[in-house]
Amino acid sequence: MILINNKTKYDVIVIGAGPSGVSSAINCAKRGLKVLIVDSNHEAGGQIYRAPPKTYKSIPKNKLEENEIQKKMSIELKNYQIETAYNHTVWQVSPGFKVNAFNDFSTIQWETKSLIIATGTYEKIIPFEGWTIPGVIGLAACTVMLKSHHFIPSKKIILAGNGPLLILVAYYISKFGGKVDAIVDTCSKLDWIRSTLSLITNQKNFNDGIKWIFKIFLNRIPVHSNCKIEKAVEVDGGIKVKILNLKTGEYKNIFSETIAIGHGLTPSTDITRLLRAEHIYDEHKGGWIAKVDRFLRSSVNGVYLAGDGAGISGALAASDKGLLASTALLYDKKIISKKEFDTNTRKIKKKLDKYEVFAKAISKLNSIPKKLIENIHEDTIICRCEDITKKEILSAVDQGAKDINQIKSWTRLGMGPCQGRTCQYTASKIIAEYLNCEIENLGYLTGRSPIRPVPIDRVLGDFDYEKITKVEAAPL
Amino acid sequence: MTQTDIAIIGGGVNGSSTGLELAKNGLNVTIIDKNFICRGASGVNAGTLTMHMTRAQLIPYAKKGWELWMNTSEWLSKEIEVEKKNGLCLAFTEDEEKLLIERSKVRKKYGADIKVISRKEAQRVDSNINPNIRCAAFCEMDGYVSANQTGYAYSKALKENKVNILENYSVSEIEYNNNKYVIVFENGEKLIASNLILATGVNLGKTLKFLQIDINIKCLPQQLIVSERMPKIMDTVITVANGKLSLKQFNNGTVLIGGGWPGIGNIEDNYTETKPENLIGNMMLACHAIPKLKNSRVARVWLGLEAETDDAMPIIGEIPNFKNAYVIGSIHSGYTSGPYMGKLLAEKILGKDVDLSLFDIKRFL
Repeated sequence: MILINNKTKYDVIVIGAGPSGVSSAINCAKRGLKVLIVDSNHEAGGQIYRAPPKTYKSIPKNKLEENEIQKKMSIELKNYQIETAYNHTVWQVSPGFKVNAFNDFSTIQWETKSLIIATGTYEKIIPFEGWTIPGVIGLAACTVMLKSHHFIPSKKIILAGNGPLLILVAYYISKFGGKVDAIVDTCSKLDWIRSTLSLITNQKNFNDGIKWIFKIFLNRIPVHSNCKIEKAVEVDGGIKVKILNLKTGEYKNIFSETIAIGHGLTPSTDITRLLRAEHIYDEHKGGWIAKVDRFLRSSVNGVYLAGDGAGISGALAASDKGLLASTALLYDKKIISKKEFDTNTRKIKKKLDKYEVFAKAISKLNSIPKKLIENIHEDTIICRCEDITKKEILSAVDQGAKDINQIKSWTRLGMGPCQGRTCQYTASKIIAEYLNCEIENLGYLTGRSPIRPVPIDRVLGDFDYEKITKVEAAPL
Repeated sequence: MTQTDIAIIGGGVNGSSTGLELAKNGLNVTIIDKNFICRGASGVNAGTLTMHMTRAQLIPYAKKGWELWMNTSEWLSKEIEVEKKNGLCLAFTEDEEKLLIERSKVRKKYGADIKVISRKEAQRVDSNINPNIRCAAFCEMDGYVSANQTGYAYSKALKENKVNILENYSVSEIEYNNNKYVIVFENGEKLIASNLILATGVNLGKTLKFLQIDINIKCLPQQLIVSERMPKIMDTVITVANGKLSLKQFNNGTVLIGGGWPGIGNIEDNYTETKPENLIGNMMLACHAIPKLKNSRVARVWLGLEAETDDAMPIIGEIPNFKNAYVIGSIHSGYTSGPYMGKLLAEKILGKDVDLSLFDIKRFL
């Protein structure tokens, strides 16, 4: 058995080495706390500043600003002598706190007094007919391919969904020599113009946005506003895509090789749900989120939420949110005074307020039009791990299933390897619309270990039968 | 205030089977659950329908229960996955071999058609088992039911038989006067019943206190492990000599590992938590039995709270000193027998001559 019981007790374990995890780890280490930061990737950076694959000897071409920031993050952690556990996937966190993770060889358990959860978000995709065929990928996944791996998914691509990732991905695809056949956006051009005033509050991102849009104009990429993908079918040499104008009801066919689609992001709540923390539903913050106070303390004592985990505010706000959460932790542990806590948090909050305006505008561009849900065909698969269609979900509702966990039990929705991360949002929307109720009333999927599938051989290794813990025989 | 002939508190397999049978016989039945039908231990059970893990004295009941499960389309629902499989109970060491032979003999005495077979014969039954076993016990009467589907199946069947279902109703008090039961709910509503059946599983100790009856019901937080979908790696239900493993592959390819390795849990706040070291022990035993399982990944772990009396035998039958009040529960490895036990209690209530003396609650009073 290779369950390694690490005897070191940490003051703080930070889960997730993105910008918020790194900033909170540093803030704690600066004050002399024993910190461990865990991440499943092989270096710090998270999603936005994701490190290129280990097998890359150097980044081929088009070195990006993100790659530089990423390097700095890894170096900073080293400089502050923060213990890192890269390549470790957390699969179980229990109260007290015990963190279980596995890497390529074994599984390990660490103990800590406090936890900072900086596990970010995952992407939200509203299903359409054919979204599970090969060649359909996530828009955020496409961003990782471009910015970290430096390759394009195919020569020709359709970008669909909504929000700023559409224009960002369009820009990088063009930059790396690909061709965007179309942008299919559920928003109208007016929605974009309306958001300008708010978006401008974040000068850096706004300027980037302008640069991206300019490229889209320059490359004459057709933009289909108020549109959604209705259906995609595999044909010789690519994918035939039928798009629907949500306003006019008109259809159009486009042909391409790949589709990258995304409708914004959902905060990752795997660990907080496992710890039975309280959660609330906030559509603008991405869906179900852990309930936090003004300083990002969760409802579980000693658990703090850094970054986008308790509501989406974006990468630039992430490091400040990490500072805020860790400052609360330092104060709770009586390491900093009330005065220092007040001064520091006031400063951070002021900065964060500015980002919130920007985040709200982004969330508006990522909002899900009602029609997008209504329009889902009844034979469309919603839970792709278990192949559960909209029809099957609604038939369970008709039979009297009243909450999302009952739907799970009756239909197997959310029982696959992704544990409902992909389908919970859409399934809840579908049911809420059908029953004409609030999503809050449906609840959220109970957190279950392991939060990522655990390879059995890696946990067990080679073992002798005699070494298996002896348990009392069941009564005869 | 609403009235009913029969009020059943607890909508698990025990309560629902009893209620279904009574409703089919024309009685007006109300089932009350603090959550949903079959959402407690009944919905998260391993669903193993085996003689190899059944307590010897319960074998005659388990056999009847097994037959009911294999015939769900006739009395419950067509839409529930129940499979008949051969059952193999494995012994890896000399001690286990002894234990297996001894236990099989006793179970056989009580009517289970179990025979001890050689390694070679066992491999012919299922070529996927560990070739290093010493021997195995074989029984054709084995299989499984997909426990997560019971909620759907029972809900539908109960509704079709006009059973009144009160879900999300927590009982705060039971008053007994003029031979009637007034059930008071936390939401303030009340229900009057002529007959009362308590079937609250792990909460039976708590519920019996409403009638000033104090018996000890242990809470066993059992862990279950399910793999992601795999190609076919086994074709039997596997158990081991000491009863601490149940293993089977469902039609969708997932493999369910159970056997009663405890996690952490309590009934006070319905909290459960996995115990990694016991998950690992349980997985090792499973991989030792079916080596191909090692190539899989664990998709999900969950816990169910099993009820057990001090002698690990069921309590079924009349509650002394109360007219028309009954209890059903703590049926050790009771998933197999559950539907039959419910049917028996229903028959007793309907006035048939049924002997439930083995399960009399008086033994604890």
